[in-house]
Formats: sequence, C-alpha cells, structure tokens
Amino acid sequence: MTDTPLRKSLYLPTECEIISVTDLTPVEKLFRVRRTDGLPLGHLPGQFVQVSLLGWGEAPISVASSPTREGIFELGVRRVGALTSAMHTLQTGDTLGIRGPFGRAFDLSRLCGQDLILISGGCGLAPMRSLIQYCEDRPSDFGRVAILYGAKSPADRLFKDDLARWDASARFACSMTVDNISGGDCFSGSVGLITRLIPPLTFTPDTTIAAIIGPPAMYRAVIAELYKKGLSSSRIAVSLERQMRCGVGKCGHCSIEHLLCCQDGPVFWLNEIEHLRGAL
Amino acid sequence: MKLLTPELLDAFFATLSQRWELRLPILLPDGTRIIGSLIDGRLALHGGAVSGKPTAAFFPQQSTLLSVTDGTVEETPSPPPLFIVGFTPSDLASLRFIDRFFADGWRDDLYFTLRENAAIAALSGYCGLGGALIPLAGGDCDLEFFWDRSSWLVIAYSETGKKLIEDLPDAARTEVVELLRQTTPSLPDENETVIRAASLLLRADRVPDSFWAEIGDRCIACTGCNLACPTCTCFGVQDWRSANKTERSRMWDSCQLDGFMREAGGHNPLGSEAERTRRRIHHKLAADPQKWGEISCFLCGRCDAVCPTGIGILAVAGEIVARFA
Amino acid sequence: MKRTLTVCPYCGVGCTFYLVSDGGRLVGVEPSTTSPVNRGGLCVKGWNAYAFVHHPDRLTTPLMRRDGVLQPASWNEALNLVVERLQAVQETHGKDAVMFASSAKATNEENFLLMKLARAVFGTNNIDHCARLCHSSTVTGLAETFGSGAMTNSISCFDQTDVILVIGSNTTEQHPLIGSRILNAVRNGTRLIVADNRRIRLARHAALHLRHKNGSDVALLNGMMHVIIAEGLADREFIANRTENYDALAGSVTDWTPERTAAATGLSADKIIAAARMYAGAGRAMIVYSMGITQHSHGVDNVRCIASLAMLTGNVGRLGTGVNPLRGQNNVQGGCDMGALPDLYSGYQKVSDPLMRDKFARAWGVSSLPSEPGLPLTRAMDTASEGRLHGMFIMGENPMLSDPDQGHVRKVLENLELLVVQDIFLTETAAVADIVLPAACFAEKEGTFTSTERRVQRLHKAVEPPGQARADWKIICDIAERAGYEGMRYSSPAEILDEAASLTPIYGGIIYKRLDAPGLQWPCPDQEHPGTPIMHLDRFSRGLGHFTPVSHRLPAELPDEQYPFVLTTGRTYFHWHTGSMTRRTHLLAREEPCSFIELHPDDAAMIGIRNRDMLLVSSRRGEIRTEARMTEMVIPGVLFMPFHFAEGAANALTNNVLDPESSIPEFKVCAVRLEKIP
Repeated sequence: MTDTPLRKSLYLPTECEIISVTDLTPVEKLFRVRRTDGLPLGHLPGQFVQVSLLGWGEAPISVASSPTREGIFELGVRRVGALTSAMHTLQTGDTLGIRGPFGRAFDLSRLCGQDLILISGGCGLAPMRSLIQYCEDRPSDFGRVAILYGAKSPADRLFKDDLARWDASARFACSMTVDNISGGDCFSGSVGLITRLIPPLTFTPDTTIAAIIGPPAMYRAVIAELYKKGLSSSRIAVSLERQMRCGVGKCGHCSIEHLLCCQDGPVFWLNEIEHLRGAL
Repeated sequence: MKLLTPELLDAFFATLSQRWELRLPILLPDGTRIIGSLIDGRLALHGGAVSGKPTAAFFPQQSTLLSVTDGTVEETPSPPPLFIVGFTPSDLASLRFIDRFFADGWRDDLYFTLRENAAIAALSGYCGLGGALIPLAGGDCDLEFFWDRSSWLVIAYSETGKKLIEDLPDAARTEVVELLRQTTPSLPDENETVIRAASLLLRADRVPDSFWAEIGDRCIACTGCNLACPTCTCFGVQDWRSANKTERSRMWDSCQLDGFMREAGGHNPLGSEAERTRRRIHHKLAADPQKWGEISCFLCGRCDAVCPTGIGILAVAGEIVARFA
Repeated sequence: MKRTLTVCPYCGVGCTFYLVSDGGRLVGVEPSTTSPVNRGGLCVKGWNAYAFVHHPDRLTTPLMRRDGVLQPASWNEALNLVVERLQAVQETHGKDAVMFASSAKATNEENFLLMKLARAVFGTNNIDHCARLCHSSTVTGLAETFGSGAMTNSISCFDQTDVILVIGSNTTEQHPLIGSRILNAVRNGTRLIVADNRRIRLARHAALHLRHKNGSDVALLNGMMHVIIAEGLADREFIANRTENYDALAGSVTDWTPERTAAATGLSADKIIAAARMYAGAGRAMIVYSMGITQHSHGVDNVRCIASLAMLTGNVGRLGTGVNPLRGQNNVQGGCDMGALPDLYSGYQKVSDPLMRDKFARAWGVSSLPSEPGLPLTRAMDTASEGRLHGMFIMGENPMLSDPDQGHVRKVLENLELLVVQDIFLTETAAVADIVLPAACFAEKEGTFTSTERRVQRLHKAVEPPGQARADWKIICDIAERAGYEGMRYSSPAEILDEAASLTPIYGGIIYKRLDAPGLQWPCPDQEHPGTPIMHLDRFSRGLGHFTPVSHRLPAELPDEQYPFVLTTGRTYFHWHTGSMTRRTHLLAREEPCSFIELHPDDAAMIGIRNRDMLLVSSRRGEIRTEARMTEMVIPGVLFMPFHFAEGAANALTNNVLDPESSIPEFKVCAVRLEKIP
C-alpha cells in the first residue's frame, strides 16, 4: 500500500502487521496485530474493526484485547466463509488491512464502580475478553466481576489459558458450562446451557450491570434469567452481531429498525432495543 | 428570473457543454425517458419524473471503492464537473435526504466527490406528463427551469446557478411563478395523505404480521423497488482479484433479498419474506421518521412503476390505509 | 455515460433493458419502460445482468493444451489447429465422427452459422444444442399435434384470460416477468390451477394446487380429459371443425376415471374433477408448462396430452388461451428456429427432405448436404463411448454440469480425440478441452435473440470484448474460411439474418431494419407481414389439430429399498444453469452460495438430519456432498436439487435415460439415498 493519500478515503484500509497467530480451537485463531505505522488502534472494549484482505473482501471483527494492552490489538477469528478461511492461512509477518475502530463501545463510565456480570457464549468470549482484560488491568475501577461462559464442548472453549487464569484470579468469579462433554475431556465446569449459571449468582440488582455477548439464540434465554433476578433492562448491555459491510453507517446491512448496529451499537443497553423487531 | 425560449435550448446546452458534462432528460430509442447524455437520445424536458434512480449520478449502481495494482492504490481521477437537469421537486427532496444521510457521522467521500462536483437543475411548471403541473421546487438546487406553457423561466438559487444563466435575457412575465410560490405549500396531494396515514398506522403498530405475509407472497424479489428508489442507499461490496490487480467495488443492494442480512453462521434477522417486506415499507414510513424526522418516501412513484406485481410503496400504503385505518 | 438497448441474456421471456456504461465499463442496468414484455420491470438476474461482464475470470486469449496444460495461444495458431484437427478426425473416422454443439445463449445469427458450418463446411448433421435438454419434447410433441413447436400465444395474453393451468413450471422463479403477470392476473380475478408437487410461490395464489406424484402427468391429464368428456364439457364445435382423430383420444381416456387417476397420481378424485371443471368451464384458459412436463422419459407424451387437453376445450387460436411452453434460455427458441438441430434446417425444414437439401445446398454453394439426421446431443456421449464420435466443437455450453450422469460425461469428454470449447469463461467443460476459444458475451456484440413468445429482438454492443475475445459469429466465419469455404463472409450480423430469412419462411420478413423495439413475432413470412402474436387462429400450422392418444408410462427409475427417495432437479431463482455468469455476480452468488438439497422435515426427522447438515446423496450413477435444506416446498419422499453447483453437482446423480422420440433425459425423476455426513 502507498503513502496515505491527501484525503484518505473512508473505504481505504490501514495496513497492519501480524505479530503472532495462535490456534484457539480447530476453527478459531487469535491474531495479534499492530498498525504498520506504529499508531495505536485507539479502540474501546466492545468496538470492532473491518478487517480487509484484498481480493477476499472485508468483515467486521470485534477486538478481543483491551486498549490497556498498548501497541497491539488482537482479533479472534472463526473460520466460516471465504474471507475468514483466507485469514486463517496468514502467518506472522503477513499484513492485513483494517478500518476502524467502529461502533459504540461498552459505556465504561456507567460500568465504573458497579458489580459486573460478564456473560458470553461461544465465540462471544472474544469481544468480551476486551472488557475482561480491561477489568483485569484496572482492578479498582469496578466492583465484583463475575465471568460466565458457555461453550459447546470443553474443546470448543476459546482462550483456555485466559479462562484458567481468570478462574484462578481472586479478581474474578468464574463459572463455566458446556453443552456436551465426552469421556476424555478434562473439564471442571458444569454441563448444560449457560442459563444454568445465572440462578446461583447472588448480586444486588441496583449496583450490578450485566453484559451479554453470544450466539443469537442465547440472548433471550439469558435475559429472562436476569430478569428473574431483578435486574432491569437499563442495567443489561448486549453486544449484537450483524453482517456490517461498511462499518460506517452507510451500507444498511446492520439496521435494526431505525438504529444501525455499526453506529448505534454493537453494544446497546437492552432497554434501547428490546422492543425493536429483529433486534434479539 | 431569466427567460429561455424553446428555440434557444440547444444553443444554451451546447454552450454549457463546453465546461460541463451534461446529463439531461432524454428519450431513448425505444421511448424510455431517463437522465442521460444527448448522444444516446434527444432532449425530452417534458414528461415529469424520468425513470431510473435520479440519485444514481452520485451513487451509481456499481462503483469502485478501491483499486490496487501491484500493491499500489490507484488514485481515482477527479471527474469533470457535472450539470444535471431533470430533478422534480420530489427528486430534490430525495437528494436532500440522502445528502444528509451520506454526510451524517462518517462522511461518505465517494458520494460527495461526485455530488460536490455537480450543479443540479430542477424541472417544474406545466411540463409534467401530458402538461400536468409540477409544483415549484423553490430551492434545493442550483437552477430551476419552470415551463410556463410557452417558455422556460429559469431561476437561480446558487452562485453557480447565477453564473450559468447570466447571459440569458431577463424574463418579462413572472406572475405565474409568483402565484405558484404562494399556493404551492397548500396544494393538496392525495398520495401524500395516504403515505402519511400509512406512516401513522405503522408507527402505532396497527398493521398485523399477516398483512406483511400476504404482501410478501406477492413479492418475486426482483429488487426493483430498491434499485429505482432515490432514497435507497444500501449497498453490497465485492472484491475482484486478478493476477496483479484487486478491485473492491460497491453495488446497489436490496433489503428484499434473503442474503441481505443473513450472517455467515446462517442466522438471519430478516429471514422471512414477510419480515423483509415489512422492513422495506416500515423503514421509509416509520424507522426513518424516527431517525431523521421525516418520511423518506417522497412519492416519486418509481417503485410502483417498476414493481412487476403491484406492491410498490404507494400501493402498499394504500392497502394499509384501506384495511387498517 | 452511455446507454445501450439490449435483451436480457438469462431466461426466455425476452425482457429488454439498457446497459449503462461509463468509460467502456458497464456500471448498471435500466429496464426499458416501453417494452410490451417487461413494462419497466426486471427480475433480480436482469437487474444484475451487467455484473459478470468484466469479471477477471473472463477468457481473453485462445488457449491450447500443451504438455497437458492449457496455455495462451494466438488466434492464428488456435484456429488453424481447430480446422486441422477437425479435418483430421473426419479423415480418419468419417464426417460424422465430429459433432457441433451450438448454444441457446448465442444469437440467432450465430446458431444459423454454426449449423451452416456443420452442414455445409464439415458435411455433417451432427449439430444440436441444449434445447435437447429442455424443450425437445415440445418441439416433437407440438409439431405432431399443432404443426409448430412454439408457444402458441403471447405474453400479453396472461392479462386476458379466465383460467391459467400451470403444470411443471415454477414461473415466478424461472420466468419471473411472466410469473408476475400470472400473480397480477389472479389479483384481477383469473383463477389459477397449479399442478406441481413442489409448493412453488404460484401455489400460494392458486385456487387449486395439485401435488401429484412425480412423473404422473399423463395420468392427471388423461383423467382431466376423461372428466371433461364424461361431463359434456368438451368444445364439440372446435373438435369437429379444427381437429382430427378425436375418437381415438376419447377411447383412450375412457378408462381414466377419477378413481383410477387418483390412484395413479396420489391426488383425490375430487381435486381432479374440480381441476377439469375449472379448466374446461372457462371462457378462455391458458396452459403454461415447462421442464416439469418435458424432462421425462415420456416427455413427448406429456406434451401430447397437454395439446389434447387444449384442443378438447377449444382453447387454441384465441386471445387468452393456448398451449404455452415457456422456453428456458434467452435464445433457445432462436436456436431451434435457426436449425441448430440434427434433423432440421432453420424454420423446422427437414434435412430428410431432398427439396430442402437442394434449396440449402444451392444457397450455400455446395454440391450436396448430408441427408441422414445427425446425433442428438444427449446421445453424443454414448456414441463417443461406443467409438463412433471422436471430436466435439462446443460453443457456449457446459455439458459437464448440465448433462445427466456427470461421471459418464467426464469420461467421454476426456477421451475424445478433439474437444474444442468456445465460451466466455473457463467452464468445467472448457477446462478439459484441447483448444479453448474466447468469445464475446451478450453485451459485446450485435445480433438477435428470439424469446419464448417468438419475438425476435435485437441486442446491441455496449462495450468491447475483453482482451482478444471475439464474437462467436466472427470465430465461426474464421473457421469456415480456414477450412477453405468462401461462403461465410459477412460484414455484420444483419447480413447473416438476411440469409437466414431468405431460407426460412417463418422468418421471411424479419430483417434488421424492421427490428426496432419491440421487435417482431414469427411467423412473419414477408416484409409487409406484421408478425403473429397468436398462432393457429383459423387453422393449425399443420392444417387440422391432431389428437394423439397416450398411455401412462412410469418413470424409468423409481425409488426402491436401496435408493428410497425420488430426486427431482431444476434451478433456483438466483442462478442460471451452470452458474458461469450468476455465480460470478456478487449479489446472486450471495443469495445462493452453495449446493443444497431440499427435503421435507418429516424425512429429515426420520433420518436425524437438521437444517444445514451436510449430506451424502448417492444414486446408481454417483454420489455428491450437499447441504440439507428442510422445507415444506417438497412432499415427503421427494427431494429437489438445483444443478448449478460444480461442487455438489446434481447431474452426478441424474439418469441419462432418454425419451425415445425427443431424446430428452429424465432430469425430473431418479432414485437416490441420503446419508448424514458426521
């Protein structure tokens, strides 16, 4: 890519270098990346970037690392289509393009001082990790932090090392579940849907905020459990996944009624969207 | 206000063409009337709204976002200044709407590269279909050509516009324009009444899902409604790669397609015909009013004209009002 | 910014639109608002018809296989080699050892030239095209009964009819701008009968939806005729004045009582009676059919029954009536009209007729023309494997995906002494060729297409072909020249159509200067003739309409214990045939990105399959992997699969059993089994 043109187009990606690639699961990899020009990404937990591979297109990928980890950022990528399959062939030293960061992040000022329940399912842990790392690095900003995570099987869990560390850390109360477990699996969590992890929690609804990121089917069930515990919709943040093509509020692919997931989200307060068609 | 007699039209446009690329309402060989170049057909200022998305001049069906040859991003040459005639007041309203849309938040530089390079002229007066009256635009453009049944009265609204017509003689009789200027706001429009009523019903959640299923049953997913609409702005993105070159372009997309919001994992927030049909109408009549403060259908009639099964927005709004008001 | 009026390259409806180009590149499409066919609308494929034209995969130079690999070559080398090797094959094995496959995607002029090349230059009647795979049953069946194998009425007739019977046509998906007319007609009071066991969109609007068993159309139609005759609903006057052989027909349907028909079709007797009454009781009734009728081992019989049903009720030769086979390809009607058929010259003039041979030989300046009908496309593969066909020249077709029994096709094509493919992309077939010639696409050349309603319309060149690609007609002329034939020198396609018109009575009055929009509908015998919107007005093309009695035959392969499901194949709305254009069109490819198979939720539950699971589907011919799509579109026991996808190709499974008369393969019925891939 050339020098930055005089007026940089909205649609021109910025070159980034891959520092390392780690297998998370057989279908998910973690890319540690930095901007070639050395500038920080400048993101907040909950934001995403449009990752660009020339010839393969672009896709929205949530940033999986916290801005407190300076100089680099990380992207957890599941292999689902042509672009992500091409990404999975990339190695250390290769480059990719990014545009962003885009979208509304977690409202850190409102989260500050509150007890947090961070609930994620499947690859929803990647974007949640950005917030968890943030909590890890700014321990005094928040009250108690509970991490709830559900995956299909022990092998399907992302960030197994991180999970083990968080589990061991006094900073976090971790509870985990998997849908299925087979003979050889070494797993200490429970078996069943993630909704099972909520009833045992004890928290004060007025000083607690929950955040949810997961597959589409997860939201309603988890929200129902949180409601049972008395948490109000203005204290539940959800991050929604949509197929953004542009990331900048123009292409229309991520609209939810009058809102755009890439601009008004991806992190929403539940009371902003629960009444909207097609949101959850 | 200047005067342009029909016999001077050709000379006027010929002079302009020395500095501007002209796009004018023309009649193509089979009688289709569009905004285009005079090499493709003869000038046809009369006849009302042209077919085809009038905002295509700034947001073409397909355009390049990024072109990289041997690792180098190609600079796009700046386009020649464009002079476009043929917007009706409704088209101007659409243009104003999408100007605001493309400017909001992240400013879409590709759109504005074309948009800011163009001068726009509206058509109004008794030049509608069969001599019907097109109300006065009164602004939102550089020039307005008003047909008073014998000549074009030309009104400039911008410095560019003034310069363009400075050599034309002043118009002597301008009473008709003055009269219309006063009466235009109160001209009743039946379609507008219908669309506003439908908007209220939608926003009051008075339209049941069964209605959308019924309309959806009649949709063949041609996407013409979106592709003809001057306020539809959705696009898809594709990459083409060859040995040494990659081209990323965007093209008009349609919310009436199942794949529009379908995610790689198969989840689809717009997964049924009923939901997609609702989205098409609801977006213009309820979502946009909430976000932008105005209904984003300006009653140009193009989706109704282009829809092979009669479920353009006016037709559907009419059914909504007839059944649920 | 330039606009060029042209004709849609996809289905046979004949929609016209303007290609919008800017600086030599296509940037969009605008529908014609004055076209009597599409009236300002288009379907999703039409709206996106510009999008594949500049795709980087376009062939830009001739290719020749050297050391087993296709490598760029000059036109001179490639064309010389084509001629040299075609002649060599013919010298070794005889004239009929080569076959020419023409294309329903190419223009009338190009089809006319390829058949001229085959017959006049290479001395063989081995010329055919993909009409063999779609409407050869129609050409045979309607020629026998009516005297002409084309749609009898016009598209505008859908606006002016009382009852429409749609049988074996998914019209809103495959002929969308006709399908939409049917939807509009229903809104305006026309009653619709849909006979198709898939729950297609039209079925949602139908007064009657008959989900009869696959391959039981003859039973259904005979049963309806039985009811019509038994209840005195037949048009006795029409039968008496306009038809022959009625008694034989009446005799043949006597046994087809509603009860027997019900048993054979799986329908209730009431529904059969209701359908018969509705169709026969209408003042004007139209029949629409397509591949669901023709692609059977008894396809011609199906067509005969349809013709009989229409004649029995006097629904031919009037506004809003008729037998309306919808032609699939943009120019499959023209391909047939122009004689890209092994037994017919242009205008359905028989090669077996010495007078015709003499007429064409004189016009083309050759001493004689071959008299024996040539090979139908569908018999080419078997003939080659029997060692009687050694070279093929294929223009714009992709038999590797489109023909039944892919495994067999691949083996044959790879073993040919010579395979030449002329196309716009390196298709699966071109990839195994010895020589590949790069052609111009529809947007890059002049010519005419003939639509399903026999409307001849001009296409116009909007942009230059990529690289060295050339229009098919120019390539054919070059080949003729190099083969030493001097009778193929034209300055433009207009001259080619002039020659075709002079030899083809139904096109007699069709010349370029009369082809401004909206074109002309044949028959158009002379230059004063206004064209023919409705055929068989006062008399059938053959004189009297002929009733042919038909007995019910079962499909060749029915499910059994080993292969318990019926597989029926077809197309989706978003893709065109083997996908060489639509799979390179972003929006269309996004809509249907991969191979899939439709199955009923009950069947899925029975074998423990969930939506989007990968399945192994196998038949006696082959096996493929594809994605499960659970839907009530299909009935239990029946699977549907589109044939567009090279990965997961439906035609690896299909059965190359042919109708004995039309040689059409039975794409619509074969037996398969399903397994879940863990």
